[in-house]
Amino acid sequence: MGSNKELLLAHASMEHVSLSHSVNIMLTPQFYTLIKEPLPVKYLYQAKKIAPSLFEGLLEEGRSYEYLVFKEENSWAFIAYDVDKITEFLGTKGIKPEQVSKLFFAQQSLTSFSDPVLLGKKEALVVLDDTVVVVPQAALGEETNPLTFNDSFTPKTGVTLQGAYGSLLSMKQASALAVAFTFFAGMFFVEGWRYGNNSKAADEEMQVLLEEYPSLQSKMQRENISAKYKTIDAAERKKREVVKSLSMMIFKGVTLTSFTLNEKGFKVQFSCSDAKVAKRLNELAKKEKLNASKIAGGNDIQIEGTL
Amino acid sequence: MNLKRYQNELVALLAFLLMLGAFLYKNGQISSQAEDAATTKQAVSDFKEIVALKKIWADKKTSKKVEKLKELIPASKVTWSKKSKKVTAVYEGLTSKELNKLVTKILNLAVEIRQLDIQKTGSSYHVEFKCKW
Repeated sequence: MGSNKELLLAHASMEHVSLSHSVNIMLTPQFYTLIKEPLPVKYLYQAKKIAPSLFEGLLEEGRSYEYLVFKEENSWAFIAYDVDKITEFLGTKGIKPEQVSKLFFAQQSLTSFSDPVLLGKKEALVVLDDTVVVVPQAALGEETNPLTFNDSFTPKTGVTLQGAYGSLLSMKQASALAVAFTFFAGMFFVEGWRYGNNSKAADEEMQVLLEEYPSLQSKMQRENISAKYKTIDAAERKKREVVKSLSMMIFKGVTLTSFTLNEKGFKVQFSCSDAKVAKRLNELAKKEKLNASKIAGGNDIQIEGTL
Repeated sequence: MNLKRYQNELVALLAFLLMLGAFLYKNGQISSQAEDAATTKQAVSDFKEIVALKKIWADKKTSKKVEKLKELIPASKVTWSKKSKKVTAVYEGLTSKELNKLVTKILNLAVEIRQLDIQKTGSSYHVEFKCKW
């Protein structure tokens, strides 16, 4: 079933209704034009394409028509309907467009019309030659047993009332907004793409360096080389700093007696001419944050430390 | 809810979402570009540092430069032993001037100092120096 909603049969002589909920509407042939053609087409989309040409000259000019196409047993059924006309009619009967969930056409429920369905007091819906038509009730036989129209007549598929009802935006406004948004989207995409490319340009300097030093192309190799030389650099700088600091401590009255430096540490001994010089040397060592000690029984100062 | 009923809004909404997506894409590109630039800058800086360190500590001319430690002092005072990239040098009877010259030279050479011993004997100096590169 197309929907679980209540199905109303809309016909020209229907009474005014008051609805508080949305409903499905089934239209009688009074609101559509039907053509049945045994066309040699296989798919629905092919049949839909030729629908407008089938109705050429049959429909009222200057009106806008929509088309519904479906397959019947041996032929294709083409229905042309005027949405504006239907909307207008429903409006006069108290049915607002937004209250219409789906529109169905009586022809879609051909098999359900096994007996006539009465339309008001004068007309009835009957099936003649596999087509649902409106006939005067006077034409029905006396022993006719009319059917009660109910939700069981609801076909599987229906159509929606198209238009701007219930919409905050008209099609024109929506199109304008969509164009503007799409334009900005395009701009943002292009900008983003260009930023992405700029990033590639920044890599070029790195590429030049890699080409210049092919032996450093591997990151792991670079890290190994870096670790190796950074260790050597740090240790050797430390050794040289120590020697420079110690050489600054040689002034008048101070003589270098011995000096030993290896990979682990250093040890130096200075001979001072008197206690005053020894004291000054000691202060200098402290200033350089070196561990100085006076050798007992003289004015010699020994400084040692680790690297 | 009947979506077809709100198709106008849906069209505008979809276009808006497309714009939003494009905007986020652009912003993502900007921040990733900034990140990439910082990473690349750091990588280039690290690379240059490695090249500089290699130039100092793996200089092919170091071998020649080390030879000058031998020529700096009169040959009679030097005992020189060089094996591959290792040197052991013993200097005897150096004056303080010669010692200064030698130590300054050693400090300015890009070699790994394995040992540097200086002993004062009377008025002269005895130096033992071991290095590799």
